[in-house]
Amino acid sequence: MVGLWLNIDYAAFVALFCIGLYVVLAKQNLIKKLLGLNIMETAVFAFIVTSGMVDFGAAPIISDDTTGPFASPLPHALILTGIVVALSITALALSLIVEIYRRCGTIEADELKGVE
Amino acid sequence: MNRGLIVFILLAAAVPMLAGVAGLPRPGDPQAPVHAHVAAHYVKEGVRESGAANLVTGVLLNYRAFDTFGEVMVIFAALAAVTGVSSVPPGQRPGESGGRNDSPRPVSPPISPVVAFIIRCTAPFIALFAAFVIFKGHVHPGGGFQGGVILGALLMMLSVVFGRGTRDPLVPPPLAAWLQAAAPLTFAAVAVVGVLLTGYLLGFPGAALGPVRTLMMIALELGIAVGSAVIILGLFQHMRGD
Amino acid sequence: MSQGFDLVMLALLIGMAVAVARSKDLIAAAIIFSGYSLVMCLLWQHRGAPDVAMTEAAIGAGVTTILVLLAIGRTRRREK
Repeated sequence: MVGLWLNIDYAAFVALFCIGLYVVLAKQNLIKKLLGLNIMETAVFAFIVTSGMVDFGAAPIISDDTTGPFASPLPHALILTGIVVALSITALALSLIVEIYRRCGTIEADELKGVE
Repeated sequence: MNRGLIVFILLAAAVPMLAGVAGLPRPGDPQAPVHAHVAAHYVKEGVRESGAANLVTGVLLNYRAFDTFGEVMVIFAALAAVTGVSSVPPGQRPGESGGRNDSPRPVSPPISPVVAFIIRCTAPFIALFAAFVIFKGHVHPGGGFQGGVILGALLMMLSVVFGRGTRDPLVPPPLAAWLQAAAPLTFAAVAVVGVLLTGYLLGFPGAALGPVRTLMMIALELGIAVGSAVIILGLFQHMRGD
Repeated sequence: MSQGFDLVMLALLIGMAVAVARSKDLIAAAIIFSGYSLVMCLLWQHRGAPDVAMTEAAIGAGVTTILVLLAIGRTRRREK
């Protein structure tokens, strides 16, 4: 438990991931499920960015008068790609939800179960 | 999904993750293994080898350029899929079936003059800020994606004021198709230039050909920015229904 | 001092995520999600990641919120 208190940031991001997972599993509205999926994705991004930070570290931009420790640039590049992929997923899912509503008249998952 | 199953799945996800997280080194620890190997090399040699003072841009556009190539392909594929999902067959579009279809063409409500005035006043400043973020991306926080998304938001605002649906969109369709493919095409062009200069696909020359290297990176950033902006405008237009 | 700032931000994030889960009005959920994205951007800026913070602010609090609001406008506003 001491390890968990020292890594309180990581534990908070695990909690956010579980809240997002609960929204995806338990709520019936498709748009609410998509918001839960986005919460899960941003929790994972926050976890990876936090793993790259350094105590009193500055942003990884090196000019002539910056010294001292720098935050690691590798997780930042990974997460930039990840954020754009999350946007692509959200855009495609939203267009599919609008099309489902146009054809079936409902976007609640339990009402969609018997629809052809 | 009954509540028992949901609770079981949440516990099965949370407990191993919390146990794993408790064993990680403290966030911010400079001796953590994540800072030791590749990242230390990038921090030490990054400016000299990649020519970018902003190390994140250097990693994205020089060291890991293939990942960025994959990412622009992903967002282009997303636009292609959204276009495929939301396209209406040519006979069913309202107003195009020669009078057989008698539902009227949907008109969007008129824009309030206050909103239109504010958008027209602030648009040049937003465009200037987007250009600043794009072109100073290799020495300052920013870069191609950030400037491209700001430019895309500006285009969305302008299409609210100026665009009038499918008959008169903000960017005419043939030009829009070429601009949406701008990012993958720019990457392919720079890859060919890299083969000519160094023999590797997307290979960047060393510090001897410094200006050429900077020019390749600025071309990549411009391609990503213009491509992302017009792709975001395209997503917005499909989502609105035109 | 910076530890306290981090704790307040994390508590805000968890509160906003719970609010998104519980609200029945989808437009309210979308706006709270936009605020969640903004707090995440501030957290990353505090951790020394300005590029990621700029991208998250532009995409999360900007484009994603607009697309979700447009989709809600073409479907239903309240969750059953």
